Amino acid sequence: MTARAHRLRSIGALTSRIVAALFGGYGLAALCSVAALALPISKPQAVLTGQLASFAVCTAVVIWAFAARSALAVWIGLALVAAVLAPLAWSAS
Amino acid sequence: MPHDQHAKGPGFRQSMSGLHTWTGLLLGWVLYAMFLTGTVSFFKDELSQWMRPELPRLTQPLDPAVVAQRVADEIGRIAPNASQWSIKLPDGRSNTVYAFWRTPGVGKGAPGFGQDYFDPITGHRAEARETLGGDFFYRFHFQFYYMSPFWGRLLAGLAAMSMLVAIVAGVITHKKIFTDFFTFRWGKGQRSWLDAHNALSVFGLPFHVMITYTGLVTLMALYVPWGERTAIKTPAERQQLTAELSAFIRADKPGGDKVPLGSIEAMVRQAQQRWGTTDVGRVNSANPGDATARVAVTRGDAGRVSMSPDYLEFDGVTAKLLKVHDHVGAAAETRGVLYALHIGRFSDLETRWLYFIVSFMGTAMVGTGLVMWTVKRRQKLPDPERPFFGFRLVERLNIASIAGLSIAMTAFLWANRLLPNAMADRAFWEIHVFFIVWGLTLLHALLRPAKSAWVEQLWTAAALLALIPVLNAATTQRPLWHSLASGDWVFAGIDLMCVALALLHAVLAIRTARNSARLRPPRSASKRGGIPAMSREAAT
Amino acid sequence: MSHTVAQLLCLVGFSALAFGLRRPQHDILRRSLRRPVVLALRAVGACALLAALAVLVDASGWGFGLVKFSGHTTLAAALVYLALIGYGRRSAMRQ
Repeated sequence: MTARAHRLRSIGALTSRIVAALFGGYGLAALCSVAALALPISKPQAVLTGQLASFAVCTAVVIWAFAARSALAVWIGLALVAAVLAPLAWSAS
Repeated sequence: MPHDQHAKGPGFRQSMSGLHTWTGLLLGWVLYAMFLTGTVSFFKDELSQWMRPELPRLTQPLDPAVVAQRVADEIGRIAPNASQWSIKLPDGRSNTVYAFWRTPGVGKGAPGFGQDYFDPITGHRAEARETLGGDFFYRFHFQFYYMSPFWGRLLAGLAAMSMLVAIVAGVITHKKIFTDFFTFRWGKGQRSWLDAHNALSVFGLPFHVMITYTGLVTLMALYVPWGERTAIKTPAERQQLTAELSAFIRADKPGGDKVPLGSIEAMVRQAQQRWGTTDVGRVNSANPGDATARVAVTRGDAGRVSMSPDYLEFDGVTAKLLKVHDHVGAAAETRGVLYALHIGRFSDLETRWLYFIVSFMGTAMVGTGLVMWTVKRRQKLPDPERPFFGFRLVERLNIASIAGLSIAMTAFLWANRLLPNAMADRAFWEIHVFFIVWGLTLLHALLRPAKSAWVEQLWTAAALLALIPVLNAATTQRPLWHSLASGDWVFAGIDLMCVALALLHAVLAIRTARNSARLRPPRSASKRGGIPAMSREAAT
Repeated sequence: MSHTVAQLLCLVGFSALAFGLRRPQHDILRRSLRRPVVLALRAVGACALLAALAVLVDASGWGFGLVKFSGHTTLAAALVYLALIGYGRRSAMRQ
């Protein structure tokens, strides 16, 4: 592999991680705040619980985006969590 | 995934370090300004008193019940057709009573809004210079200025989120958090900066995490509205949610029968029996003057570490207690506690000072972090005479956002004393002065060599701060010696605080100037103790 | 009153913890302390901090107590840190 291709790859991986951190972070936080509606508590409490937890989720995703071994692993991880949360969010809406 | 494996190279800790550096830097200047104005806001009521020197200080506590009645009567005269009003009662930290009211739109006209400060002794409008006082820093802290509050708050949220990530990444990066707990290596340039940054971060870590997370919580309904949008559909559900968040009175549509409001004093008295004489925070009224009037008396901040609604609801005409609202759901209570922790209004004087000091350390943490970015890279510059563009940009922005902000904030106080009282839009001009001066410091930082810019701006800030007591003595009837002699600790405290801050800026200026005299100090010199904290960042 | 007592306890606590660390031992005592001494210092430090927490919680309840505790520990750690730096500077200048 040429040095140039190598460099492009690494820039690509970094960009992919940054995108995952920014959009994945907020996306999962938002998804989590909706999924919280599936909790067996009253609607206002569920809404607030989701909001309160969302920032921790967002932080965790950003950390994960840069901690995972590879850019692909980042996306796989995000997809797994989203796959768990999405049905909950769906059922609540 | 092999393709990414070579690209990554460095390990987990390095990537966390990179994350810490870049999330910290990108909005670092915004964060610094938020941190410093937020720190000052812990004393915003005191600052507001200082900025309205015409209003005498209150020498003894007033009875909230009597004050509430006075101001309610006055609002009845000023806005007889108000559909709603709210009075913030004095709590010993403030010498005015703030109130606002809404009037219904006439025909197709928009609803009106009025607000003012009242003298708690006479009940009349407080005759003072027009100023936003400490509230300017408070509002700037979370929504900035010259932009819509919506975008300002989003920017603040983005900055706070970066801060949260930077804190977590920073903790992961800092591998020897306990063994290095008390480490400071003097005169070692980058090392010294790192030690100072670590100490400021680690000592205040619980506070920094708390203040950042709770800051996000204060505006969470704006940042993550999706759950609310999904679940809350009917007006009844909306009311349910609102009642969990704030003192909310559900008044029927005004019937049109004019009936005077009952005794506000009597209602507040009932609240006092429940919570204690001084622990009453607010009185709100809906449909005052109508047969359907409702009044809510809200508990003060001092009694508990929570902002969740705790209030009594009265029939506004008969002053009969209708309902006691004193508990909310678990999530709402959690939010109330976190909210209260952020703004710290429950604090007694000692706790308020603790908040101020630790928050000040947080400000210094952000400041040292910003400066460290340049210190770290300066040694690696291929040609120190001509650094690359990004380096120069960070260096100049650092000067204007750290030293420049001190100058601008002090200029705001100067404008408060020097702008003529009769000036049109006076309150706004105080703020314009703040931004004009801040802009000038940026211009200065761009035009001068970096080290000179640091030194000159730090000295300017020191001089402006040191002269505040002089300015205050020359322009008001409440000079420092007078406030000291009469035990007026709000005025004396702010004058003396400015002097203390002036000393801090002078020390920084001296160290920066002395240090940048020699670019690369020999090792032996550092043992002799000449290398100050603010080491090479200032040398160009 | 509880503020003063708590701050003093925190100062004692952090001073003990500081001397349980290698660097302050070397800078000030110019030798390493023996392991049992270090453990004793850590125990004293932890106990003093817990005592400060107890004083604050007793005086003002858990909510206010924890807030005040957080403030006092931070302030005390900063003061001990400044004292160590100050001591280090003085002895460096005398040499």
